[in-house]
Amino acid sequence: MTDMRRYPKGSRPQFFDDPAMDQAMSMIMVLASEVSVLRDRLDTFERLSEAGKGPSQADIEQFVPDEQCLGAREAARQDFFQRLYFVANKRAQENAEADTRDRYQSVLNHTQEK
Amino acid sequence: MLNTFQQQRHPALPTASHDDNARQEFSKSLKQFVQDQLLPGLAPVYQRRAKKFAAEHGREPKDRREVRKFMIGDPYFQSYASTNRVAQELLWESVIPSIQRQQPSLNEAATKLSAKNNAELMIDAEMEVPRYISGIDIHCMPGGYAGSASEQDVSTALLYDRGVYLYAMGYMGPMNDDLGRSVCNYIRRNLPGLKPLRILDMGCTVGHSTLPYKEFFPEAEVIGIDVAGPQVRYAHARAGGLGMDVSFQQRDASDTDFEAESFDLVVSHILLHETSNKAMPAIFKECHRLLKPGGVMIHADLPPFDRCDLFSEFILDNETHYNNEPFWGPMRDVDQIQLAIDAGFEKSNISMDTAPMASMELAAAAAAGYDPESASEVAQREFEAGEFAPGGGWEVLIGHKKASS
Repeated sequence: MTDMRRYPKGSRPQFFDDPAMDQAMSMIMVLASEVSVLRDRLDTFERLSEAGKGPSQADIEQFVPDEQCLGAREAARQDFFQRLYFVANKRAQENAEADTRDRYQSVLNHTQEK
Repeated sequence: MLNTFQQQRHPALPTASHDDNARQEFSKSLKQFVQDQLLPGLAPVYQRRAKKFAAEHGREPKDRREVRKFMIGDPYFQSYASTNRVAQELLWESVIPSIQRQQPSLNEAATKLSAKNNAELMIDAEMEVPRYISGIDIHCMPGGYAGSASEQDVSTALLYDRGVYLYAMGYMGPMNDDLGRSVCNYIRRNLPGLKPLRILDMGCTVGHSTLPYKEFFPEAEVIGIDVAGPQVRYAHARAGGLGMDVSFQQRDASDTDFEAESFDLVVSHILLHETSNKAMPAIFKECHRLLKPGGVMIHADLPPFDRCDLFSEFILDNETHYNNEPFWGPMRDVDQIQLAIDAGFEKSNISMDTAPMASMELAAAAAAGYDPESASEVAQREFEAGEFAPGGGWEVLIGHKKASS
């Protein structure tokens, strides 16, 4: 057995002004992935339990999700992403509505007018 | 549409653990989220910044390079592009452990499955892999197309087979074979007179696009070639596991060493954008040399930039900068019709067209997630830049070699 390469040849691009942010972004998404894995595992556990099967580790490994299960998990992941990307979605909404901090300030000014 | 597409298992693929599968599903879902949710949010960013550019310069941005300059500092774009990159990295990360754990048995299995394929396997151990393949690992796939730990090791091909399914989010069908199927369907509908007896698929990797040709033209001798030894070896095994007699040979599409005028049909699928400015004309010339008089060349790839708006061009070109795809953008600037003319095809015998996505039409019932409803949704959608497949079809360049007079 030989170790497969884990990292691709070719310099990784920097997306954010601070390279530490690039690293943090990757770490956050890896953690998000692990949360999703745990959620799927718990879901498998519950489905097997409800069906009165174990579940032992072997039962969990052999579990094959049906269409309903695949759909429920995909819906849960997309819902998770919606929440995870709250700020990006918020920015998208502001961009789409051309909303700005200047407009916010103008409302502040308006409320403070005497 | 909720994407529940699942790859059809076949004998050469590794078995994934429960958690491997969950990680793989996560990477596929994340790509879907980027496409459905984050990507559309970029359009208003672009409109605002392009307007600002026009006000400052007194003109519209002239090309994707200028667009890039005013887009890359935007926080929303940074969030989009970095997420896309991380999704790509997670994809490979999620597949590697399943192959690593079973590596010796998978390599042995490949050798056994290969023995079931009655067509030739040819490995050229002396072949020097072109720098456009070996220079950086395309698609950020660790190890690259041609990486191999030993003569028998097919780990990078296994990684490609599973990884490309996730990369395409299942849109290439349960067998990853939509490109080959789409071109075969296109031939059946538009070139009914073509009954090829010898077919060459250039840059075949694991042979996913190659096998449909054997299915559509069972009497034909079908040969897939690639510069990457592990891909060729695995392609032969994969076909054997699926009960197909298709030959796979390690050869360079720009200089195949096959006899002149020995093929009726020469095809490639998303090959051209993985080559280079120097290799592409050589490949076209080789196609012309290899075709019998009256034979046909078909290259299927993504659309050239002159068929896209500037925003789409910029989005597509992100692959060049962020996904280790050095020729992705430049290939779309190449005048393919002129290349075909320079290779010897007559102008009146060259055309560009769209081949509708076939897997979605067929909606194979063998794998979960594919049903007539999702198939028709995919077939009917409009092209959006950033999506893996251009809406309902693939761009095809078709060249007919003049029949002998």
